[in-house]
Amino acid sequence: MRSTSRRGEMSLAEPAALPVATSAPPRLHVLKRFAHRLKASLPAYLLLLPSLVFLALFTYGAMGRVFVDALYQRATPKAPLRFVGLDNISAVLADPYFTGAVVNNLVYALGTAIPSIALALLFALALARTNAVSSALRAALFLPVLIPMVAASALFLFIFLPNVGLLDYYIGRLLPVLPNWLGDPDIALYAIMVITIWKNAGYYMLFFLAGLQAVPEDVMEAAHLDGAGPFQRLRYIILPELKPTFLFVIVIATLNAVTQVDHVFVMTKGGPSNATNLVLFYIYQQAVEHYDIGKASAATLLTLGALMGLTALSFRTMANREGGP
Amino acid sequence: MLFSRRLMLGLAMVGTLAGALAFPALAEGPTEIDLFFPVPVDGKLARDMGTLIKEFNEGHPNIKATAVYTGSYDDTLIKTRAAIKAGKPPAAVIMSANFLLDMQIENELTNLDSLIAADGTTKDQFLGQFFPALQGNAVINRSVYGVPFHNSTPLLYINADQAKEAGLDPNKPPQTWAELTDWAKKLTKREGDKVTRWGIAIPCAYDYCGWMMETLTMTNGGRYYNEEFGGEVYYDTPSMLGALTWWNDLIAKHKVHAPGATPGPAVSTSFISGNAAMMMLSTGSLTYVRDNAKFNYKVAFIPRNVRNAVPIGGASLIIPAGLEADKQKAAWTLIKWMTSPEKSAWWSRATGYFAPNMAAYKTPDMVDFLNKNPDAKTAVEQLDVAKPWFATYKTVPVRKTLEDEVMLVLNGKKQPKEALVAAQKAADETLKPYNAETSLKLP
Repeated sequence: MRSTSRRGEMSLAEPAALPVATSAPPRLHVLKRFAHRLKASLPAYLLLLPSLVFLALFTYGAMGRVFVDALYQRATPKAPLRFVGLDNISAVLADPYFTGAVVNNLVYALGTAIPSIALALLFALALARTNAVSSALRAALFLPVLIPMVAASALFLFIFLPNVGLLDYYIGRLLPVLPNWLGDPDIALYAIMVITIWKNAGYYMLFFLAGLQAVPEDVMEAAHLDGAGPFQRLRYIILPELKPTFLFVIVIATLNAVTQVDHVFVMTKGGPSNATNLVLFYIYQQAVEHYDIGKASAATLLTLGALMGLTALSFRTMANREGGP
Repeated sequence: MLFSRRLMLGLAMVGTLAGALAFPALAEGPTEIDLFFPVPVDGKLARDMGTLIKEFNEGHPNIKATAVYTGSYDDTLIKTRAAIKAGKPPAAVIMSANFLLDMQIENELTNLDSLIAADGTTKDQFLGQFFPALQGNAVINRSVYGVPFHNSTPLLYINADQAKEAGLDPNKPPQTWAELTDWAKKLTKREGDKVTRWGIAIPCAYDYCGWMMETLTMTNGGRYYNEEFGGEVYYDTPSMLGALTWWNDLIAKHKVHAPGATPGPAVSTSFISGNAAMMMLSTGSLTYVRDNAKFNYKVAFIPRNVRNAVPIGGASLIIPAGLEADKQKAAWTLIKWMTSPEKSAWWSRATGYFAPNMAAYKTPDMVDFLNKNPDAKTAVEQLDVAKPWFATYKTVPVRKTLEDEVMLVLNGKKQPKEALVAAQKAADETLKPYNAETSLKLP
């Protein structure tokens, strides 16, 4: 980790320091060395082979297929598939439903990641010390994680039922007009977000609990002796120590915001009027409802690209921060 | 390379062994076929399907049918298409009746004409078994592509106890939109500004919303789509404008219908719990209501503004394209058995759908059942005025363009006219490639 952050400085100071680039050995020599190395690592590759085969078949094979499918399109229903290059991608980018889904997804990502991470941190701080009560509470907060998203959505479907659901039965009585939680485009996305927060906060709490174990006890004690109050200890010791956990959880939360759409599928199907349409559900609609594999693949590629970029960026930041002073 | 070849050989051997184990007597055993079936409405359809298939297998030792539950109507379409793409289509599928045209356009259906001819019957004789209203969704370009299996129409459900309490006679249900509006006003209960009981509930979620719009448009004299050609829908028309405006008026003007889009299960729950005094819902929910309502209820025709007319709903049995001959034959046997009068009647009693086979209503069990449950008769009587369910090129996206706009109207975000103009424009755009290939492909 440390070396990655230092490499920048090093290459500036002594640009020709890398040994590989200095003297190029004869080609034959390289081949021989390669063969030798291969021989040495052959058993390892052999042992990996079964899983590599399945990885290739079911992960990279499928991804490769998406790449290919994204380049083909039919002009009319009976016309043959033909190569269209990047036309599918530009068609997706020009589709107002796609841009709408992207905007919804951004709102959804921010609106679920921030509250669920804040709640998770709060829970973790409150329950950091292990005793019978906190263990029970931890288990209770973790419970939503164990419920499959589809089952949870089905439960919430009844909670959100307009007029007769649990929510309206208790809270709705206080409001002048009972809201149609999932049927009003202004509210539906937030209703969906509540479920995500409820479900994920307990999961992220686990990471923060683990992170808190790593906060050095002696530093805390020293701060205590120096007269630092609880807020100061949080601000200057605990939060900086939790930085890697934060970054990791943010990445996970962002990925979840894009890849978890089970509740959209069960509860709203992207409606009403596309108010809860998220990117992954848009892809599903293109593939299934429009039966437009080209556009669905193109949208998948765009999403995949964005996610990979985001993940790479976050992990690089994480690596730099970890290596930093 | 060497090792990958060895691996391939190994895999091939394992594959052969597994194959030998899985199909021990390929030539001797019964023809194994899969039937994909969805569960689209309230009720315990999956268990009933198990019972039905078990009975079929007992009566047909040379065929072994397996019922595969495939989710909703939409999921069933996805799974069928995935199976066709993978080269392993199921032998028969209970497919939402309005997906048939779309599948036929994509060359995914087996034309059943030759199977009918091989039985020594004519197409007219074969189709003559079923209610005429159902034929529109089963016949495409004068060829049979589907066999009606369970069908529905929308019905008006009335909480008879609440009607009596409001001084209305549930035996004379509302017949026109004007009467329905009047009933809904009388049945709505308020505490100050707050509504504690709605007069009427009409479902609107993707799928149901389009069907209800077709229902209201038809009772207003209109049509939803061109029944003869899959490239046209009639959204921006006076009849649909009237329908949507009335629906919107029930919410915004008369305040007798809860605002926003309410999905089907929410509507039926609302009705069962007494929170909505009337609802428009599929006949497919009749058994659910009968089993769960703790009050007296009545069912009636959907009231008219211009004429009595309703679309059909439900599903047909289809045979996907690309099936081996023996499986096709086995599937055809299964389909004929499932749509025979006795089985049709049994399924109808179990589910609440009506039986598409007219002879089903002459079986003694069914006569008995109808005498005990006269409400089941209403759906059948309404068939006289029923017409096909909308089916176009890309039915689902074309339907969704309308539904998205209707939802905006029901939420008070758009006026009916501008919503329908927008829906028409979006639908025309989706239908464009098909029209380019058909109606606008000129010599």
